Amino acid sequence: MLFKGIPASHGIAIGPAFLLKVEELRHARRSLESPAEARQEIKRFQDAISAVKHDLENIADSMGDVVEGRQILEFLLLLLQDPTIIKEVKHSILSGMVNAEYAVSTTLHGVMEKFNVMADPYIRERVADVKDVGRRVIEKLTGTEKEALKNLEQPAVLVAKDLDPSETAGLKPGQVLAFVTDMGGRTSHTTILARALGIPAVVGLQAITSEINPRDTLIVDGIHGHVIVNPTKEELKYYRDIRSRFQEAESLLQRMNPGPALTEDGVRFELAANIELPHEVELVKKLEADGIGLFRTEFLRLIQEKGESEEDHFDIYNKVAFEMLPKPVIIRTYDMGGDKFRTGLDSGKEANPFLGYRAIRIGLDRPAEFSIQLRAILRASVHGNIRMMFPMVTHVEQLRRLRDLLKLVKNDLTARNIPFDEKMQVGIMVETPATVITLDLMLPYVDFVSIGTNDLTQYTLAVDRGNPKVADLYDSFHPAVLRQIDTVVRLSHSRGKWVGVCGSMAGNPLAVPLLIGFGVDELSVAPSLIPDVKKMIAVVTTHAAREMAEKSLSIETGLRVRALVHSYVIGKYPEILLDENDWKTGG
Amino acid sequence: MMEKIVTVPNKLGIHARPAALIVRSAVEFDCDVWVESPTDKVNAKSIMGVMTLAASGGTAITVSADGPEEIEAVEAVVEVIKSGFGEEMI
Repeated sequence: MLFKGIPASHGIAIGPAFLLKVEELRHARRSLESPAEARQEIKRFQDAISAVKHDLENIADSMGDVVEGRQILEFLLLLLQDPTIIKEVKHSILSGMVNAEYAVSTTLHGVMEKFNVMADPYIRERVADVKDVGRRVIEKLTGTEKEALKNLEQPAVLVAKDLDPSETAGLKPGQVLAFVTDMGGRTSHTTILARALGIPAVVGLQAITSEINPRDTLIVDGIHGHVIVNPTKEELKYYRDIRSRFQEAESLLQRMNPGPALTEDGVRFELAANIELPHEVELVKKLEADGIGLFRTEFLRLIQEKGESEEDHFDIYNKVAFEMLPKPVIIRTYDMGGDKFRTGLDSGKEANPFLGYRAIRIGLDRPAEFSIQLRAILRASVHGNIRMMFPMVTHVEQLRRLRDLLKLVKNDLTARNIPFDEKMQVGIMVETPATVITLDLMLPYVDFVSIGTNDLTQYTLAVDRGNPKVADLYDSFHPAVLRQIDTVVRLSHSRGKWVGVCGSMAGNPLAVPLLIGFGVDELSVAPSLIPDVKKMIAVVTTHAAREMAEKSLSIETGLRVRALVHSYVIGKYPEILLDENDWKTGG
Repeated sequence: MMEKIVTVPNKLGIHARPAALIVRSAVEFDCDVWVESPTDKVNAKSIMGVMTLAASGGTAITVSADGPEEIEAVEAVVEVIKSGFGEEMI
């Protein structure tokens, strides 16, 4: 069975499914072939009930004299053995010719719907008990793993409704073969992490979690956004073949371009890495990146459950800066909010989190907390290679307040005789049209800017990048985005400030020639993408890049821009692929 | 076939715990047992059924049974309801 989603991270993976959370009582439908099979399913169902009954009775016994506990367990036992429900499930298996899991889940869904409309809140609350019993029965039927992710023993494909970024942070490549999720878009945070880990991912599959059973074999094609559940022999063979070719290409790329990133005509180009976690520095050094163009700090806050200790922050910034010497490290202050880590900062649900309380809006609202991070970064700046970057600056007065806050922190450090880099460069992310349009007013306050193409694209095109229904409108090659990049570079250079690009666009081989052509000074990409991007840089001359960039500004659609770049480089870079979508007619 | 009418005497009516008491009493007998409110008739051996009846305090309930032990079953279930489930009465 083939499912199509959004390709989020390149690569091919084949392996067993691991369902991360089975909160929902929904299970895949499998049609039965014969009455004998239906009888078999009924037997499985009855066995599951007996097994759950046994479990519940054991729990009840262990409760001893705890009356309330025993009452709850007795209630669950009554639910489990309810004749009406049992009859309905059996009927569903026999007349619908479906598997027991599916029959149980549909029957219980009907029951829960009835409960949900009951007037008595006390009875409505019993839905939780129905779920509890249902989950236990389904777990007996399928043997669903409940273990936490860290207990994952065999490498598997992680299947989830959505992945919590903090959960994915602890994953190691090799442990997880790929991500497959219902939610998410091309540039959601989970996607970015999958790329950082270098594992394939397909997101935005809408309801794949209800179509996959534990231990189903999955093929994840992160290039085209396909997921094949329980593939045929032919499909397996085909994809194994592609996978090995892909892996060969990957390792080839790794070996192919040692040394700095040079264009075809030998011009040195600055190629840096985006990192999430300090230990990624090792890989970044191996890849000979020209620095860290974006050090995201949101994770630090989560990983250190201790809270907001200045020392914890300092230790990490200090270590990364020291390890990277003499190459620059751009530390971005917290970019909480939007789709990232709302924990702890929630001031209630927001209707539009991306237009809401996020990034420096939070920081300026809580200057005392924010100063802890600023102080830690400044202290680590003694190495001389740290640069500080503020996300989501949309108003010049925010920049003034940030400048004043930074000054306060610096004065405090000076007063306490704590050294820091007086000349530390300070920059901002350019990620809203507002910033682009008023950049001339902002530039006097900064040393550099870095274009966050993900947010810039979503705010410019008014597309929620996490919404699968509109994700295909999300296009960083849209003329509105390209023209803004051009504007940013021209304006910044005219004021003597340098420009980086740290969004996903910098890691898209087809975008690289354009960004070089616009005159961008630095690209920063996920470590796993560095070989690809380096290779792309190597097949483009500065002249051709300028020509492509210039032409792109008068092209009507993003698709045609991609086709333009493709036609330039296909001869020198035959592996380069256009997305499957790019072949759609009408572009 | 045997049936009796009884009024739910407790304030909170037949919520989860009383439903469990009714079911536990009904399953003891070798016969079909039903409880019926003015709007719905459900299997008294089904916890789901009895709960979805959602009979509030003061509702008139018809208890009926059919089978070898129908007399005892109806008596027993009526007694459980009359007792008010050990809760505060109306």
